[in-house]
This record gives sequence, C-alpha cells and structure tokens, in this order.
Amino acid sequence: MEMLRQLTYQLYASGYLPEMFQYGFLTNALVAACIMGPILGALGPLVVVKRLAFFSEAVGHGALTGVAIGILLGEPVTQPLVALFCFCTLFALLLHWIKSRTQVPYDALVGVFLSFAIALGAALLLYVAKRVNVHILENVLFGSILTVRDMDILVLLLIALISVSLLLYSGNRALLASLSPELARTRGISVRLYDYVFVLLIALVTVASVKVVGAILVGALLLIPATAARMISRNGREFFWFSVIFSTLSCLLGILLPMAGAMPIPSGAAIVMIASAFFILALGVRRWRKVQ
Amino acid sequence: MMGPAIEVQSLSLQLNRVVLLEPISAMFKPGRLHAISGPNGAGKSSFIKCLLGLMPHTGQVLRHWSGRPGQIAYVPQQSAFEASLPVTIEEFMLTSITRWPLFFKRRDAHLQRIDELLQRVGLASKRHLRLGQLSGGERQRLLFAQALERQSLLWCIDEPMTGLDQAGQLSMTAEIAQLRDQGATVFVVHHDMEWIQQYADELWIIEGGLAQHRMVSRKQSSLIAEACA
Repeated sequence: MEMLRQLTYQLYASGYLPEMFQYGFLTNALVAACIMGPILGALGPLVVVKRLAFFSEAVGHGALTGVAIGILLGEPVTQPLVALFCFCTLFALLLHWIKSRTQVPYDALVGVFLSFAIALGAALLLYVAKRVNVHILENVLFGSILTVRDMDILVLLLIALISVSLLLYSGNRALLASLSPELARTRGISVRLYDYVFVLLIALVTVASVKVVGAILVGALLLIPATAARMISRNGREFFWFSVIFSTLSCLLGILLPMAGAMPIPSGAAIVMIASAFFILALGVRRWRKVQ
Repeated sequence: MMGPAIEVQSLSLQLNRVVLLEPISAMFKPGRLHAISGPNGAGKSSFIKCLLGLMPHTGQVLRHWSGRPGQIAYVPQQSAFEASLPVTIEEFMLTSITRWPLFFKRRDAHLQRIDELLQRVGLASKRHLRLGQLSGGERQRLLFAQALERQSLLWCIDEPMTGLDQAGQLSMTAEIAQLRDQGATVFVVHHDMEWIQQYADELWIIEGGLAQHRMVSRKQSSLIAEACA
C-alpha cells in the first residue's frame, strides 16, 4: 500500500493527478472502494433474488451495536473490528436461525430485529458517546474515508477473496437454490447450508465495508445497485455486471466527488446518493425502453 | 438398466399437528409407471415430496437400485417465477447443468446441451425469454427439460399436464411413455383416469385427505374410471 500511496503522490507531484490525490488517505479509500464496490455489487443480485434486502439492512444496523460493544470492551475506538464482526455474525445467524424455525413472516421478523438493533445500538452509543469524541461515532455511522487503514484494506481483500471463490464455485447452485429450493434439494444441494453461508457472507461484507460506507448505509449499497441493475437487465449476466458496475462507480464517485467539490459530506452518504442516482437513471432507461 | 424399486415403510406425515398422511407401507416395483391419484388436498404432492426427502416425515423410504445409486429427476407442480426477475430460460438451465458461473462467457458444449433439451420440449426458440415471461404450460415444459438433463432412472412428476395445450400434452405423454419404456421407475401425480388407464402400470389412490390409501391394479383402474365418470 505504501508503494501505491507514493506512486499516487508522485503522479500528483508530476501534475498528472489533481491536488486531492496528495493525501494518502484518499488512495486508501479508493483502493477500499475498488475492492468493496465489486463485491457488494456481485452479492447484490442474490440479495434481491433471495429477498434479503431488509436482512442486509438489519445486519448493517446491527453494526451500530457491535461498534458500541467493542468500544465498551476496550477495543480501539476507530477500529472495533472484533466486536463488530462477532456481533454482526451472531446477529445475522440468529435472525436466520429463528426464521427457519418459526412461522413468523420473514419481513415481520426482520422488522423486529431491525428495530431491536437500532434501539440497542442507540442506547449503547449514547452511553459510549460520553467517553469518546462524538465525531468518531459519526464516522462509524455514516462512514469516513479518513479512517481507512492498511489493516482495513487487508480485511476487505480477504473477504473479497472468500466471496469471489464462493461465487465462482457455487454461484449457479446458489441461484438455483434461490429460484427453486425444492429442485435444488433434489439435486443434492444443501439449501440450508447455502443460506447460512450467504448470510454469513453478507455479515462479513457488511463489517468490512462499515469504515467507508458507515453502519447505517452499508445495507443500502447491497440493495440499490442491484435493484437498479434489475430494472434494465434482460438476463442474469447483465443483472450481475450492471450491479457490479453501478456499485463500483457509486463507491468511487462517492469518495471522489465530495473531495473534488470540497463538500463536507460523509462518504457513506455520498456513495448511497450516487447509487440512488443510478437507480433513477435506470428508471429513466426502463421508461425510455417501454416508449420505444 | 432399470430404475429402482421403492419401498415405503410406515411413511406418515404430520405438519403443525395436522396429519397429512397416515402410515403407508408399500413396495413400488421397479421400471414401472406408478400413477398417484386422488382428490385435491389428499396429500399426493406431499407423498411425492416424502419420497424425494423434501418433507420431514416419519417412517422410511428405501430405494433399491440394481446397480450404483442414480440421480432423481423431479418435475414439481407449477413453479411460479417472479415476473420481473431477469433470469432467462437458458440461464435457468445453466444453473442445472454446470457450475461454470453464468455471468461469464458461456461454453459451447453447455449451450449445445441446453439446445438439445429445450428442443425436446419445444422451447428452443424461447431460450432467451425471462422465466417470468413464460406461460403456465411453458413453465411446465421447462421444468421437464431440467429434469431430462439428469438422465435419471427414477422420476417423480407432479401433475405434468397442468397448463399444457393439447399438443403439449401429447408431447409430454410421449416423453413419459418413453421413460417407462426405457426402464425408469416413474411416479406421476395425475387426475385423468383415461390417461392412467392407457399409460400407467399401477394406480395408487390417496383419498380422504388423511389416511385412506390403496393400491389398485391396472385392471381395477378401469372400474375406478367408470365410477369416476
């Protein structure tokens, strides 16, 4: 990473890159975006097909509590990774486990968990806010490009490798399990195992993306690019690639545009606003196609 | 090669304290076409799902294969796909035949195999349609095509004629008859007694919603057909 930062600085110094590239944290954030964007975009279509949109939102909100617990347990305020990871994973697995064992409609169950996550997170964060600088908490909630460190990029890279391997090895099977669980089971596919692995993957990606996108908004980035892609895609391949492109561009532009315009907007908010712009664009394209 | 004999020992099914099937014990002979009939809600589809291991049941289902255990081909009853989901027929088939991710360039061998299967069910020209754009009959054909891919000697087909036009019914009947002639053990949930009389080797009736099940020989099935008429 140090080499990359130096290279970027040299390109800035030689006049090839604008002034904002003189800051090493921007290089870190852009590298994180280049890893995070494609992964969120690649998982998004499965989130949409499996109707797990609210689930990813709930896990994102669970990150609030995870951060608060981490700080309370004495983890570094800017990097409570262990508590965040443990809480989000437990939260996601528990939600899915209860879903598979009750007759409660899934959206209602996720709603209960979502509300609980926000309530617990708010209570703990307000308590924690007495001990730490409130701006640090803002960063956790809405993301900040200033806080991305080499360690975060390493974690992201590791999770990206796991996600890509799983998608390559069993993406088709996961899709069949989502489209027709019964058919999948007659083909020897353990639908339950796939569900748990996918849920775990969402929790991991959520945790890894919290630094840049923020706990509140990370779920949206799993959902919005994929939903926009779904509207303009004619087949599954387009669905996948459009989602990856929208998500990656949202992450990159969401980091670059506020910096370029010197706007004091949290990176998470900017990223999600740009993803929403893609969604509106997709609505327009769809409408235009219908008229044609 | 012949399909397996299926032995069912005290198979029963209960969901949320409601008894769907009371204990059934039976031996389904290999290489035969077993028709399963009975009124709506009697538990025919549930019985098929128990045979496939898709529903939690008590009792045992034993598959006696003559050689190495083979695969099972299953054609479920009318699977509804979400209309706006951008997944095409070709991609649905790809999920069935290969692990090679469908978001990469497709391999010729896979496409050729899909073409062969879709041609058999008359859907080759519609391979680029989305799943949600298919009519009920076309969905049924697609589900049959994915089952054909398994090259199985054990088939479970749940109400295969639902939504099919006359030509589709004839073509489906020919395919099922061919499976039987090839020695597959075939279970077909069906209501049409004339069809059963003509093509089935055994008729099993599950009726009364809960418990009464009886095997009727092919000769007796004509009597039942008359009674139903």
